[in-house]
Amino acid sequence: MAKPYNKVYTNETGISLNLHPQDVDNHEEYNITIIQEEGHCPVSINIHPEKDSLSKVNVRIFAENNASVDCILSCYVAKDASGVDTDMQIRSWPFDKSRIQARPEMFVLNNDIKAAHGNALGTLSQEDRYYLHSKGITNYKDILKESLYEG
Amino acid sequence: MLKIKNLKASINGKEILDGINLEANAGECILVTGHNGSGKSTLLHTIMGRPDIDVDGNIEHNGVDVTDLECYERSRNGFFIAHQSPPTLDGVNTLSLFSEFAKFDAPDARKIEIIRKSKSVFNEMSLPEDWSQRDFNHGASGGERKKNELAQAMLKTPSLLLLDEPDSGLEQSSRSKVTDLIKEVCDNGGIVLLVTHDQQLQDSYLTKKIELSNGQTL
Repeated sequence: MAKPYNKVYTNETGISLNLHPQDVDNHEEYNITIIQEEGHCPVSINIHPEKDSLSKVNVRIFAENNASVDCILSCYVAKDASGVDTDMQIRSWPFDKSRIQARPEMFVLNNDIKAAHGNALGTLSQEDRYYLHSKGITNYKDILKESLYEG
Repeated sequence: MLKIKNLKASINGKEILDGINLEANAGECILVTGHNGSGKSTLLHTIMGRPDIDVDGNIEHNGVDVTDLECYERSRNGFFIAHQSPPTLDGVNTLSLFSEFAKFDAPDARKIEIIRKSKSVFNEMSLPEDWSQRDFNHGASGGERKKNELAQAMLKTPSLLLLDEPDSGLEQSSRSKVTDLIKEVCDNGGIVLLVTHDQQLQDSYLTKKIELSNGQTL
């Protein structure tokens, strides 16, 4: 299996990516982390899976203070790209007064494929918070940010 | 020493514990038994300071009244609870969280030393090789989550260890780690409160037993 593509973007003013799984990129898995502490960052990620390719794209977005991120994650499956197996997931953690808007989109022109997508908000439940406090931890945001930095 | 006086606890207005009294000396391991719903887990979480439990009565640890302390303050004062159903924390790296746990006990320790020690306890608990790099409890089985809790306790060696069915879901070969941990805490002058249905564990290292029924000691 090809090595995953891992990339952390910090305080960017714009991100535009065109991914070609198992083709020109030679990756199956993409782990893209966006950490925005200030300013606005529009993000456009386009996935172009080739015929019979396998791909998994994970986008993690962390925003704090007054930062904002608008992310569109699009997958384009061409008419001749049968056998594609693709999965794209977005997870967002907005803190303080920040704002994250994230949207996965799929444009599929072939019926013989597998495609999945997800979009989740990473908030802490009351139980999660108690768990962390019971271990002495009150700086969840800092630990999460550090973990995301380290990829 | 742990002294619990006339402890009453209720959740959402429902009374769970009704006047528990308990004393434990340094080095003691106390078994808490009782039927399902008798209040065993609630007793441990009340001692730990779970915020949604309304409490009346007193909890004193080593001469300090901790009844009004926040949960995280109790943790930083040596209390440790091994949860029965620990959560998954997406995005949070296991090793980063372990480094943070360990900080309170060894604030001067170098990060590299904490990482080395964490990896060593993962290995001792036979957790998967990539455990330290995973998101916290991500893709973990029930048994692995239990091991993860025990690994944290091994890293800290707490002065008050609260074990809520630490053995359920654990394979036989890992159960000895629970008794080893209890022994280590007791040998260091700590106190252990253990909730378990496992007879072998009950027989292994206990000095006292309390039985709960309808939130009261029998």
